[in-house]
Amino acid sequence: MNWYHWIALGALAICALVLFAHFIRLIRLGNPTDYSKKSGSVAKGVAYSSTVAMIDHKESAYLHIPTYFAGMVYHVGTFVSLFLFVFFLINIALEFTLPLWLKWILIAGLSISTLCGFVLFVKRLLVKNMRNLSNLDDYLSNLIVTFFQGMTIGYLLCPCVEAYYYIFVSILLLYMTLGKLKHVVYFFAARYHLGFFYGWRNTWPPKKVK
Amino acid sequence: MEKLSQEQIDKALKILKMPADSKLVTHLNACVHCGLCADSCMYYKSMKEDKFIPARKVELVASLYRRYCTLTGKIAPKLVNARDLDEKMAEEMVDILFGACTLCGRCVKHCSIGVDIAYVVRIGRQMLAAMGLVPATLQATVDAALTTGNNMAIPTEEFVDTIKWMEEELIDEMQDENARIPLDEKDKNILYTLNPREPKFFPLSISAMAKVFYAAKESWTLSSTMYDVTNYGLFNCNDEEAGIIARHLHDEVKILNAKMLVLGECGHGSRANRWEGPNYLGMKYDFDMITVAELINDYIRSGRIKLDKTIIKERVTMHDPCHLVRNGGLLNELRFAVKSAVNDFVEMNPHGNDNFCCGGGGGQLAMSEYNDRRIKIGEIKAEQIRKTGATIVVTPCHNCVDQLMQLNHHYKLNVKIKSIGEIIADALVIEK
Amino acid sequence: MAQIEFDGDGFLVNPGIWNVDIAVEIAKEDGIQNLTEQHWSVIHVIRNNYLEKGMAPMIRVICKETNLKLREIYELFPLGPARGACRIAGLPKPDGCV
Ligand code: SF4
Ligand code: SF4
Repeated sequence: MNWYHWIALGALAICALVLFAHFIRLIRLGNPTDYSKKSGSVAKGVAYSSTVAMIDHKESAYLHIPTYFAGMVYHVGTFVSLFLFVFFLINIALEFTLPLWLKWILIAGLSISTLCGFVLFVKRLLVKNMRNLSNLDDYLSNLIVTFFQGMTIGYLLCPCVEAYYYIFVSILLLYMTLGKLKHVVYFFAARYHLGFFYGWRNTWPPKKVK
Repeated sequence: MEKLSQEQIDKALKILKMPADSKLVTHLNACVHCGLCADSCMYYKSMKEDKFIPARKVELVASLYRRYCTLTGKIAPKLVNARDLDEKMAEEMVDILFGACTLCGRCVKHCSIGVDIAYVVRIGRQMLAAMGLVPATLQATVDAALTTGNNMAIPTEEFVDTIKWMEEELIDEMQDENARIPLDEKDKNILYTLNPREPKFFPLSISAMAKVFYAAKESWTLSSTMYDVTNYGLFNCNDEEAGIIARHLHDEVKILNAKMLVLGECGHGSRANRWEGPNYLGMKYDFDMITVAELINDYIRSGRIKLDKTIIKERVTMHDPCHLVRNGGLLNELRFAVKSAVNDFVEMNPHGNDNFCCGGGGGQLAMSEYNDRRIKIGEIKAEQIRKTGATIVVTPCHNCVDQLMQLNHHYKLNVKIKSIGEIIADALVIEK
Repeated sequence: MAQIEFDGDGFLVNPGIWNVDIAVEIAKEDGIQNLTEQHWSVIHVIRNNYLEKGMAPMIRVICKETNLKLREIYELFPLGPARGACRIAGLPKPDGCV
């Protein structure tokens, strides 16, 4: 292992620890106490909230197909890149060679998701509403993650950028603990609370209109 | 606006700094500024100003949270748009959180993350309430309820006179001395409740429900003092005041020893009693609360009342009150009642959990200063109604009724607005 | 009417300045071109009640004093007793869901 591997490993540990701390804090704060008489099912509400609700007649999706689609692809790209990062680290010991076809599929896929990330960045920059809603962190987060995917492509193409790759990932991981990228934790918490709320009141899962 | 005192600021920030559970922290950290909620909100849809985008409402509160409760916000406020709580901020919050949100929750369902935007707006209002910055018009309605027990400050004798008057009319119509509107009677099945605007200005919905109770041979009563189902404390978000108001009805059930509290046709009032009341008071209620629609459905299903669908010949549509349907789970309960009474029923588009607010929710009806916005956003509802071709709009909420009456006039819809009680009473077959 | 001040809802800010001309003007805004005797009888009952007790009268009182039926009053004032009649009678906006 080289020095930059150690740095990346350290960053990963810090990032995981901080995110885990956020998670633990949520758990410790706990569920809202509700003294009202429940009329639905929280479990079913949460199950719906975390699955079907994401596509079920959701205006943020169907009124904005291109953006929504780009966002989805972008997120998949991010998770694939993160997964690859962990794989690369482990692979230092395993010394497994990725089959060529898989490599090219990954490169092609990540190219598309990188493009999506970039398009979303440009949209945030150019559309007035978006600009007025955004802060520096929004732009930075978007850029860093897009770059991260780009770097992953670079590293897949040529091992020569290895040092740059690891250093960049370290920056990303550390940055993740500061701003909006924490939504990797809070997204799931929000889905949970929404399911709790609507499930308790029997709004979710939605009934067919009779 | 006057300069905020440190005491005011501390009181407001306490709400952010001492969360009771993980809900607040979650929703204040979750918005990713994707902006996709914009088109779900009638304020943005009808006025296209970006300050009305739901995420901007969340951002007002979240930026304070970041400033005072997160490390990044304390060290590098510019990076994450962490803002100070000062006069300018407070003014913006009043204008947007009180003046540009009906707490309808429509955006919540459509948010790509699942941020409970309406909940965050209510937290923002709580902060403003803690600083004493509730708009005077809204506060006046809360104060009336606090000091007199009803939000229109109706004196008890005048209320009693009105009920007696309605009772005489009912006796006349039913030609039966036993067709009564009982007041303050103990040990009944049901304590029924009203929106004060019924006795004050629109008492026909009281006699309509009395007719339904008469037909169902229900054992029921009204209280001569604590009959107000509304709770504007839900809107000024002063939970302490909301609790005092919620306690009125809770205690009245106990005093009269009624078995059940029936919530009159009022969306926010139903929510404030049924869902929030026990939480305001921090205890479970040992009696049941149901809404008028649920009660009427029981009567229909059990055959206690009979309806004739052919009496009402006109086309009918229904407006879903946000707090009964999206925030109260009564989607099909409301429909069952209305569809049992009429033949020609059409839905608005969209409807149910996805409905648009009438535009008068969230305390907007009380806040004159935002009247223009209220009428403007109501255009969406007006056009929805127009497209159904219906001539009767039913809605089980007197707050919605008032807004719809104004929309009817302003946008020249030529429809009649009715409560569920009224439409049921119209279709009622009285068996002698 | 430029100098007369209304609140956002169109109710008089200072009910003391009310007069017959103002009533006629407000009524026109509501689409009532001619205020009939019946209109005036309702308006006067509301106005007097306000001057005496500081609030709008119950609809029962209006019916009793004018001898009009409920439905007749709703027809006379399409915006209803509160936003319609009370506003024309120069009262401030009542509290509550109106
Ligand atoms: S709760 Fe309703 S009014 Fe408020 S921001 Fe959401 S959609 Fe708009
Ligand atoms: S849709 Fe949700 S996450 Fe996106 S900007 Fe709106 S509130 Fe924030």
